[in-house]
Amino acid sequence: MSLDFAVRITEILLALAFLQQSIEHLQGPKDEQHIFFPRIGLSILLLLGFQTQWVCVALVMNGLVILKRFQGPYNGGSDRMSLLILCCLCLVHFMPTLRWQEYIFGYLALQLVLSYFIAGWVKIVNSEWRSGRALEDVFRFSAYPVSEGLRAWADWPRLLCLMSWAVILFELLFPFTLLSQPTLIIGLVIAAIFHLTNALLFGLNRFFWIWLAAYPSILWLQQRIFVAEFL
Amino acid sequence: MLQTLRLLLPALIPSWRFFDEIAPSPRIEFTLLKAAQDNPDRWQEFRPRPVRISIFSMLKRMVWNPNWNEFLFLVSCSERLMENPTEHSAQEILKRVVVDIKRSSIDSVATPYVQFRLVFVSRSGTGLQRNIAFVSSVHRYSESADL
Repeated sequence: MSLDFAVRITEILLALAFLQQSIEHLQGPKDEQHIFFPRIGLSILLLLGFQTQWVCVALVMNGLVILKRFQGPYNGGSDRMSLLILCCLCLVHFMPTLRWQEYIFGYLALQLVLSYFIAGWVKIVNSEWRSGRALEDVFRFSAYPVSEGLRAWADWPRLLCLMSWAVILFELLFPFTLLSQPTLIIGLVIAAIFHLTNALLFGLNRFFWIWLAAYPSILWLQQRIFVAEFL
Repeated sequence: MLQTLRLLLPALIPSWRFFDEIAPSPRIEFTLLKAAQDNPDRWQEFRPRPVRISIFSMLKRMVWNPNWNEFLFLVSCSERLMENPTEHSAQEILKRVVVDIKRSSIDSVATPYVQFRLVFVSRSGTGLQRNIAFVSSVHRYSESADL
């Protein structure tokens, strides 16, 4: 996968994720609509590939307005990943050499790997996660389960302990999937299923779409490091 | 501008510490009052979650989930109110509470005042405990402009 192709796919996926996020705000307060209408227009331009470098700059500016409006991210991690991808794309377009473009896009891929690995690390060092108690708490009283019925899952401690370890091990082992393209693809499919599950159970739909938008960067980096090395 | 750039920094160098600990979880509750000086006697949960959701609704929410995402933002505002209280966080919560009241069939003439509070739920032994961590000032919602 060439850098240009990976960047273009990222732009398309990011534009689609931004459209999904922005359209949701059109039923919100009027001042939000005034910020998200331009974002919809810019996302369509990004999707079409029209003047993408300047559209990315405009989207970064729009992102800063959104940060100011909500005094931080609107939806925590998904907004942070949105801004990270956007800033990396923006910088890629303005880097003077191919080498620097690769460094920037590689940084995005590195952050994607870290997003799983660090999330796994902070869980494994926590005894509550190792015992399954933390996931039990997520279901029993956290704000995330989308229905009261889901809280009954807290009464299945063995299942939740198993699920906790499955998540922890997957997150910690994710960097090893980079060893070959097939393992990486398997890793990304499992990761997507993980995000899909979170979206269905905890309503974190924005995470699903925005993390998908970062996948081309890791597919490109894996090929760049391992395939280029053996040529 | 500097403040906005400071908000951008965690996105460029993220910590990715998702769910590292399960902290006490906020619930927003509100009460309606006849007069500003009345003592509230009945609090109701703001946007209580449904008992069940069909798999079809869950799948639909993959692409259209504005209410829940707004709810998650209000959870963030509640946590911010505890960590670093600002008028912004309180106003964001109040605005949404008022919008929901105005959209409902509540008689705004009979009870023109609203107040909200934050109750944090956490584990206590084998049960749960509720701590009232914040109570807002009383607000006359019937006169506030539509959002």
